[in-house]
Amino acid sequence: MRTVLITGGSGYFGSILSELALARGDRVRVFDLNPPGDGTASRVEYVAGDVRDVDALRSATEGVDVVLNNVAQVPLAKDRELFWSVNVTGTANVLLAARDRGVAKVVHTSSSAIFGIPESNPVTEETPGRPLEAYGRAKLEAEHLCHDAAAAGLDVTIVRPRTILGHGRLGIIAVLFEFIAEGAPVYVLGSGDNRYQFVHANDLADAVLRASDREKPTTYNIGATEFGTMRETLQAVVDHAGTGSRVRSLPATPARVGMQGLATVGLAPFAPYHWLLYAESLWFDTTKARSELDWQPQHSNASALVESYDWFLANRDGLEGEHRSHHQSPVRLGLLKVLKRLP
Amino acid sequence: MPVSTSDPTDTPSPGADEPTGVPTSDPASTVVVTGASGWLGQNLTRALVGRDRIRCLVPAEGEAAPLALVSPTIEVVVGDVRDPATADRLFEGVPAGTTVFHAAAVIHPHASTREFFDVNVGGTQNIVDRARRAGAARFVHVSSNSPFGVNPTPDDVFTEDSPYDPYLGYGQSKYEAEQIVATAGDRGDLATVMIRAPWFYGPYQPSRQSQFFRTIRRGRFPLVGDGSQRRSMAYTDNLVQGLLRAEVADKAPGNAYWVADAEPYRLRDVITTVRRALEAEGLATSGPELLRLPLSLTGAKLAEKVDVVLQGRGRYLQPVHVLGELRHTIACDITRARDELGYEPAVALEEGMRASIRWCLDHGEQL
Repeated sequence: MRTVLITGGSGYFGSILSELALARGDRVRVFDLNPPGDGTASRVEYVAGDVRDVDALRSATEGVDVVLNNVAQVPLAKDRELFWSVNVTGTANVLLAARDRGVAKVVHTSSSAIFGIPESNPVTEETPGRPLEAYGRAKLEAEHLCHDAAAAGLDVTIVRPRTILGHGRLGIIAVLFEFIAEGAPVYVLGSGDNRYQFVHANDLADAVLRASDREKPTTYNIGATEFGTMRETLQAVVDHAGTGSRVRSLPATPARVGMQGLATVGLAPFAPYHWLLYAESLWFDTTKARSELDWQPQHSNASALVESYDWFLANRDGLEGEHRSHHQSPVRLGLLKVLKRLP
Repeated sequence: MPVSTSDPTDTPSPGADEPTGVPTSDPASTVVVTGASGWLGQNLTRALVGRDRIRCLVPAEGEAAPLALVSPTIEVVVGDVRDPATADRLFEGVPAGTTVFHAAAVIHPHASTREFFDVNVGGTQNIVDRARRAGAARFVHVSSNSPFGVNPTPDDVFTEDSPYDPYLGYGQSKYEAEQIVATAGDRGDLATVMIRAPWFYGPYQPSRQSQFFRTIRRGRFPLVGDGSQRRSMAYTDNLVQGLLRAEVADKAPGNAYWVADAEPYRLRDVITTVRRALEAEGLATSGPELLRLPLSLTGAKLAEKVDVVLQGRGRYLQPVHVLGELRHTIACDITRARDELGYEPAVALEEGMRASIRWCLDHGEQL
């Protein structure tokens, strides 16, 4: 039985990854600021700590065979210093602790944010990273650290997910669900014809675990294989909900300016990543993961979003007040409430 | 221990593929690097991978782990170069016979010129003292053109015999640092070598440096005068090669050397070459190839005067300083480094600028 250290293991994706690792028979240790939720708490070993603390990581990594690094300060946290110290220095600390403890394999969860708005699609593992905002830059720098560590002999593989969905996923997506549940219209920017790919958390966790079984450093881009345009994806969940909600277009440029303006004065829960990418096409070619890892995603864009929505509906009342990570908490709507009241 | 002079063909010549053609000793197996997380320090430290132990000083906790990752032989100490207790930690367990590369310095202080003197002078004294007590075999000091000011005429080049004429706060501080190193060398305390680097460029550049590329890309870099003033520049890999040669060349101790690209460049050629390099890396340029502004020379002269007044009051404003310096020729002759160190710059402006631009793009800088 191997021991797997999951950093950020109490977060949204970390919890799902813990669950899948346990199901495979791994011994799981979680390193996180917050304790794991009720679902996995009794079955994992919890080490409280901050990735900015290399000594805490060194002790957490003792006796560990595999490290799955999932700590990230996500776009919703708009503090630049924090982005850098958690995403960059934190990754360096994880890699250093893994190296010093002789860990056999590290899988680092990166982000498609490193690609900004790609010049062309699909994006492959060879496409150079060209981020457009602070989160993407920090995640790209973290990848450079992985390459440095790999060049020095550490076996570290990078997995880059598209936007993650699945049961329990909230954060910015909760805005959308809130509107749909109330029967209010949901908006795409421009025509909504941009091809936008999601990935279900279970499919991603499966890819991460498969990558952890495979020797030698490499990189995989992970996303759903069945996906369409932003409008089609939203239409699917609106149809599923049957609340009378409809998909509407907003003129892209004014809407972007509006999102940015509202976010800047703290009246809406957006980060640069959202207004930059929402109307753009970004999709991965996942051939490499499918052929090398024998990985097959079980979810399409639509089924992942529908599942997320259903979970949101079932758990809506209990969400306020719990103290969880950004992606496990609904954001505050702020001025967006006004949009919701529009006929 | 790097003691005996040997046939250069027997000696692994660090940082270059070809034999140096000058008598050298073995490089030290243990090295100490200050300023290791800085622009030059990152390049130097990576070039030193392969040595048994690389002891590095960095100023901030967050800069330690990213550097340590590069090799298990890199040991990072976090602390202030001015602090004797930090120097003790830096040299703790370092055997005699080590080489010290002193690359820590402040070039653009946050606000006050006080930092120049605290760090560049006080820090150098601190590291020199500690290196001597540790029995270091060689102390390679990174110096600058600034102790020499600007060339008196446009066709002049600095040689190792040029007189000191420190340019403002930074120049004065680097001058005083040279004096500390020279004194230690003259006393026989330490085998010291000074490498005088002009304006350098290359990978691991700080974010502020992206502005240089952005401005030139948009045709907004002002040509001061007719742009025929010349600048020596050093690509970081060239500079690293110079530092590594200074470590092993038998003639080096007690001397100072200018290390730069093969020839000085006219400022107007720097601008047009950078635009060509941007285009070659897929970045379209806009605006005029050379931006001629009326009164640019007057503006630069004025900026220089303002800089002098400000620095006289202990204040430092980077844009004023940079503009004020632009109208001058700052050029050097690398003949002595070639002859005595076996230094041979391998990279020239366009290739080096392209590599710098690629590095910026790969690190998410928007140019």
